[in-house]
Amino acid sequence: MSPAPSPSTALRIGRVQRWTIAYLVLFAVTAAMLLVRSDLEKVHVALLFLLVVLIGSAIDGNALGLALAGSAFFLFDFLFLAPYYTLGLANQLDWLVLASFLVTSIVAAQLLAHAQRRTREAHARAREVEGFSTLGAETLNAAEPVQALTAIAEVIRATLDADSCDIYVHRGRDAELELLAHASAPKAGRSSAASASVGSLLASVGERNEVAVERHDGTVSLAPSAEDGNASGSGARGWALSWGEIADARAIAIPLTVRDRSVGVLRVANEPHVDLAPGQRDFLNTLSYYAALGVERVQLAADAAHTAALRDRDRLKNALLAAVSHDLRTPLTTVKALAHTIAERGALPGDANAISIEEEADRLSALITDLLDYSRLTGGALHLAPQIESADDLVGAALARVRGIVQTRSVRVAEDAESDIPLGHFDFVHSVRAVVNLVENAVKYSAPDAPIDIGVRRLGGKLVISVADRGSGVSEQDRERIFEPFYRSPRAPPGTHGAGLGLAIARGLALAQGGDVTYEARQGGGSVFSLLLPAAEQPALAE
Amino acid sequence: MSERSDSKPESGPRISSVLIVDDEAKIRSALRQALEREVETIFEASHGRDAIAVAEQKRPAVVILDLGLPDMEGIEVCRTIRMWSGVPILVLSARMDEYEKASLLEAGADDYVTKPFSTVELRARVHAVVRRSHMAPVPGSEAPIVIGDLIIDTARRVVTSRGADVHLTPTEWGLLRVLIANADRPVTHARLFQAVWGQAAGDVQLYLRVYVAHLRRKLEGDAYRPRLILTEPGVGYRFVLAP
Repeated sequence: MSPAPSPSTALRIGRVQRWTIAYLVLFAVTAAMLLVRSDLEKVHVALLFLLVVLIGSAIDGNALGLALAGSAFFLFDFLFLAPYYTLGLANQLDWLVLASFLVTSIVAAQLLAHAQRRTREAHARAREVEGFSTLGAETLNAAEPVQALTAIAEVIRATLDADSCDIYVHRGRDAELELLAHASAPKAGRSSAASASVGSLLASVGERNEVAVERHDGTVSLAPSAEDGNASGSGARGWALSWGEIADARAIAIPLTVRDRSVGVLRVANEPHVDLAPGQRDFLNTLSYYAALGVERVQLAADAAHTAALRDRDRLKNALLAAVSHDLRTPLTTVKALAHTIAERGALPGDANAISIEEEADRLSALITDLLDYSRLTGGALHLAPQIESADDLVGAALARVRGIVQTRSVRVAEDAESDIPLGHFDFVHSVRAVVNLVENAVKYSAPDAPIDIGVRRLGGKLVISVADRGSGVSEQDRERIFEPFYRSPRAPPGTHGAGLGLAIARGLALAQGGDVTYEARQGGGSVFSLLLPAAEQPALAE
Repeated sequence: MSERSDSKPESGPRISSVLIVDDEAKIRSALRQALEREVETIFEASHGRDAIAVAEQKRPAVVILDLGLPDMEGIEVCRTIRMWSGVPILVLSARMDEYEKASLLEAGADDYVTKPFSTVELRARVHAVVRRSHMAPVPGSEAPIVIGDLIIDTARRVVTSRGADVHLTPTEWGLLRVLIANADRPVTHARLFQAVWGQAAGDVQLYLRVYVAHLRRKLEGDAYRPRLILTEPGVGYRFVLAP
């Protein structure tokens, strides 16, 4: 056993020097006593030798004390007990003196060493307790999670009296590690910080969940970090690393895990080597869990900040679209109103053009609506408020809106006889828009006098609104492409208006609320577009 | 269209005065020209505060209110005017604001038109809100309402369609009464819930949809093409007295 030098000892001298000094003292005392040998009693010699043994035991522990006791035993016998310069004794009772001296020396040396070890341990404990209490206060005090983590690193560093303590965290889903908290002793430069080559070592520590020991000779050893896999899951964990392996370590890297999830790596470095007393190992174990929790807190805070940023972005997007919508519609409102007024007066030649101006303003308005709806849909700025709605309201509101387009054309609505009042769970405003787009599409792609048939029925868990026309239908290869934005069928009648967004918007709005828009060819020619929305059950009502 | 009469209003007697509130001078001018023949006096305001002041001093017959005002929210203007005046308020809104319309109606607006609106629609709405404000409140609606071959007698609780009695349940009656009391203007879902079901437990949203559907099936020729009980998307329902 080799006790570590007490950190409180200011003398930073080697073991050989201490032994040399102790023996020099022993020889000096012996020489001094030789000079006055005739005046000395045996008890004086024994007491002085005992004093030297205790000094030796105090400066370098048990082993030196025992060595000095043995040496003093021989010197006592050889130089101070008659006959001199032999090991033999004239007075047989002197054996008793010698034996008493030896036993007393050994016991005293042991007791002293033991007491000193206790004192050192007590000091270490006191530092750990102080460390924990500082840690508690610092982490509670820290406003930012990163500050708390830095406090943890500093407490670990100070308690272990190491040069530096760094905490690395995983950023994102990849194993990339980033230095998040750094604590270094005032005396140490950044020399002990992990170099670039250490980065890959740390990454593998985090990945494999193993403790790594870096040595001066550049070698590294890895050992599993938990006693038996990661069974404990939480709380302080032990390492299966034999501590002999740490003897020459210049740095130790410990994986940080919370609930079996690797969150980062803790690295403690010290020059010339990392000294860890047994109690300090437990301390490091416990604190590494604190550090893991701290890292998790940092990550949670970062996630929360990210979510908040996304929400802000959505809010901004919505505000922007609302502003664009308002700014584009306001001049159209003026154009439309003025054109109408001029057309009404009809006094000047060319005022008939005013009617065209109003119609074109309507077209432009529809186009703006399409583009805004599409950008809201693709930009993630769609606001959905799904609730229980009836198919009556949905189809009724859609037909009211397309009244101007449909004009005199026959639009028939057929309801599945089995259903009572067809109900669904959807966003009303956006679903009306989807139905309107399907009806507009049917109007656009069929003859002006061809009827349009709207069907309402339940199909499994879906409420189906189908819009059937007697147009030219859609060719096999176009059946998915018609749902692509800005796609215009080659069969579109000349002069067809619109951006080619109607079906894309209808399908996008349906998909966003758990529905869909599907196409099938109609028996006898034409197309059937069906809007599928989540259906709702109609419970028995009172009355 | 070629007839050049600038004295005959389109859909009702001339209105004494209108207050147009919009921060864009061009829109105010366009609205002024669109309403010239319908209205005797037109006041204009570009800010919310001016609007409130003019409404108080001039007592217009109707207020046309744009939402995007520089100094205050349109909804605040609505609330402030409503504190002391029952003047009909017609809101000009962008299509984006469908869910905002309901809160405007709750704040006291009578109706809205969506930009860009047609002049015909605007005039019809202006006349409708003014007509409504001249009508006596609920007691006056005791006289039977005749719409085509449908007769609704709210006092005797009798509905006949083509001479045949139509049976309505108490809840259907409750719903119909609220709609008729607010005829020709949108009624929000929230107000209908409150008036018909009060604090009742259960999914009032569901009840409302189902009972409106029942009413339509009993009163309308085609429930999918209603002429009496119209759906106002995202807002509520509108009962139309003169379809």
